[in-house]
Amino acid sequence: MAKRFVIGSERVNVSSILYLLKDTFTLFGMLFVLAVVVANTPSAFAHGEAADEPFLKNMTTAFFNVSVSPTEIEVGEPVKVTGSVKILETWPHTLETPEIASIMPVVPGPVFVLKERFVNGTAAIGSFFAQKGGIYEFEMELVGKEPGDWHVHPGIAVYGTGTLIGPGEWVTVKPSAEPFSFPLTLLSGETIELSTYGGAFAWWWSFAGFVLGVAWILYWTTNKRTVTNLAVTVQLPVNDDAPDIGLITPRDHMWMNVIVGVTLVMLVVGWTYATSNAPVRWPQQTDWFTPEFISSGEKMAEAQASGATYDEASETLEMKVQVTNVVESDIELKQLTIAMATFVNGPEAEQAKAGPRDFVGRLEVQPDGPIAPGETKELTLTVSSQIFGAERLIPTQAPQQFIGAVLRFENGNDGHELVTVRSNVVPTQFRSTYLP
Amino acid sequence: MATETTTVTDIADAAERQRRLELKELLNKKYKWVDWKWDLVFWTTAVFVVAGAADITKQLFAGDWDFWTDWKDPQWWPVVTAFATIIIPSTLQYIQWTAWRFPTGATYTACCLFFAAWVGRYFQWDLAATYPMNFVWPASVVCAGILMDWTLMKTKSFILTSLIGAHVWAIAVWAYNYVPLAAFLQPAHFMDHVVTVADVQGIAYIRSQTPEYLRLIERGALRSFLGETQYVSLAFAGTAAFAGYWIGQFIGRYLAVWPIRRYLKTM
Repeated sequence: MAKRFVIGSERVNVSSILYLLKDTFTLFGMLFVLAVVVANTPSAFAHGEAADEPFLKNMTTAFFNVSVSPTEIEVGEPVKVTGSVKILETWPHTLETPEIASIMPVVPGPVFVLKERFVNGTAAIGSFFAQKGGIYEFEMELVGKEPGDWHVHPGIAVYGTGTLIGPGEWVTVKPSAEPFSFPLTLLSGETIELSTYGGAFAWWWSFAGFVLGVAWILYWTTNKRTVTNLAVTVQLPVNDDAPDIGLITPRDHMWMNVIVGVTLVMLVVGWTYATSNAPVRWPQQTDWFTPEFISSGEKMAEAQASGATYDEASETLEMKVQVTNVVESDIELKQLTIAMATFVNGPEAEQAKAGPRDFVGRLEVQPDGPIAPGETKELTLTVSSQIFGAERLIPTQAPQQFIGAVLRFENGNDGHELVTVRSNVVPTQFRSTYLP
Repeated sequence: MATETTTVTDIADAAERQRRLELKELLNKKYKWVDWKWDLVFWTTAVFVVAGAADITKQLFAGDWDFWTDWKDPQWWPVVTAFATIIIPSTLQYIQWTAWRFPTGATYTACCLFFAAWVGRYFQWDLAATYPMNFVWPASVVCAGILMDWTLMKTKSFILTSLIGAHVWAIAVWAYNYVPLAAFLQPAHFMDHVVTVADVQGIAYIRSQTPEYLRLIERGALRSFLGETQYVSLAFAGTAAFAGYWIGQFIGRYLAVWPIRRYLKTM
């Protein structure tokens, strides 16, 4: 006996129609609210680094001498991003030990293209082997692609940790009379336009396959009924195509053979075209290298942090450091770098040279002045900066209540040394929390 | 005794012939309320569900390999793509074959996926994120879908389709998409290295949160085959597609059809 299916009984009456209308009003109401919210949402220009835990920034890396220049260009013109990043010896034990890293610009998508990248003087197409204590000088050339105001940072991605970003600068890219172009010369000598090369073919080739697929589907859906076939198929074994009943007939086989034949011919023709058009083909290249070693500088100081306090209300960090001069000349503490922020013990002119202005501040050292050879001094370093709050650099209630920082000591002979210190941080204010 | 057996067999044959004649009538029966409009509504509305399911599955299992030309390598791309893209076509093949005896499930899914993937790449990646389409074009599986549906039509068996069709699928997905990929594998000189056009795209078009070391290409120990890792990968891709085919069958049988039957009354 034939089985028949009916969909479960549901009555449609006036009350259910009113209920439906009510739902419709609710739906439109929700859509209206959503539209208002979307229309009034400001654009986000940050990169999400403020959301990272403070230890992920200040214990892992320190960026210094970063420059993004020029800050106003036209489409097609270059911007240089240079600077250094040190992978700190204070790297948190809760992260994988740094072994592989990649330095790249951190921008909102490909609004620039990257044309050159050097790490410690070596052209870097990919990643490199890194280590704790390593210093990596970078130089990147970007070319403006999309008009707009873009925040440009350098960043270092470390395997197992993610992308850690350095100080950034706003760059204005103005429209140009000439459209953006990226010519690339192949080894064959042919010059291609990278922005569009091969794109139209990829589309039309895929579309041609799609047309064949649609022909296949239309054959079955226009020549046969769909939903009502179920009444027949449920009464047959699954491997019975029932030509006698009319489910799949010899005519169906014939036309499907034709479509498969066309598909195979298309594949052979396409393959022949593609391989004759690009007779030399390589696998994608992957190159990781070990950068040249860069020293932290001549050994001139031993420094040990003995504690720090942080006042959240005034965004003031105070750190005590015991410093011993181990060379024969006077040395002086000139800079303190925490993650992407650099604080300079010097005038405005020196601060302006230390990095993008939003990420530079003043460092107060007490007692200030040179440290004599062999002398040990306990210095009090004081920094007040809004960047502590804006970028959440200092932990105030974290499982790793520490900061890492790099101190730059200089002597009078153009020598310098970068010394990494680690200190616990005690907040001066404690806030009640009502949620976990 | 022999006469009795013959008689019983004849009666059974006649009954079967009669049953199939009734089924033929049922196949061509005119229904009062269910006509081609139902079919049109079904096929059209299903496009979005099937496209979504296929695209999400592909992105889950083969995301970056499908997003970028510089990930489409000889070693990993054929394997993960074949596995990721066969799952939902297999599901639809089961549903459409068992319900309507249509060898269309894989092709239908492939066409839906084509639609979803290109719409997504164009609007989200090209227009919104400004990645050029020649860097982010999606792989197409329509050709593979046609060949796998054809395999099912000829074999009338899901087991044989999984054994033969899954390998055909893996080879067809790779071969069909290698055609547009070939141009991007030409070597060029860039940043003091000889790299492919696809590599240049990967370096130049900045992906701040996808550092290069995440690019899983050319890694592994398939190095003892005179450099012919491509063919070893394709063989493994067929095996992976076989596994994917049965995952799709599981979804079709137990996650798609079985729950529907719970809500249908059988009379």
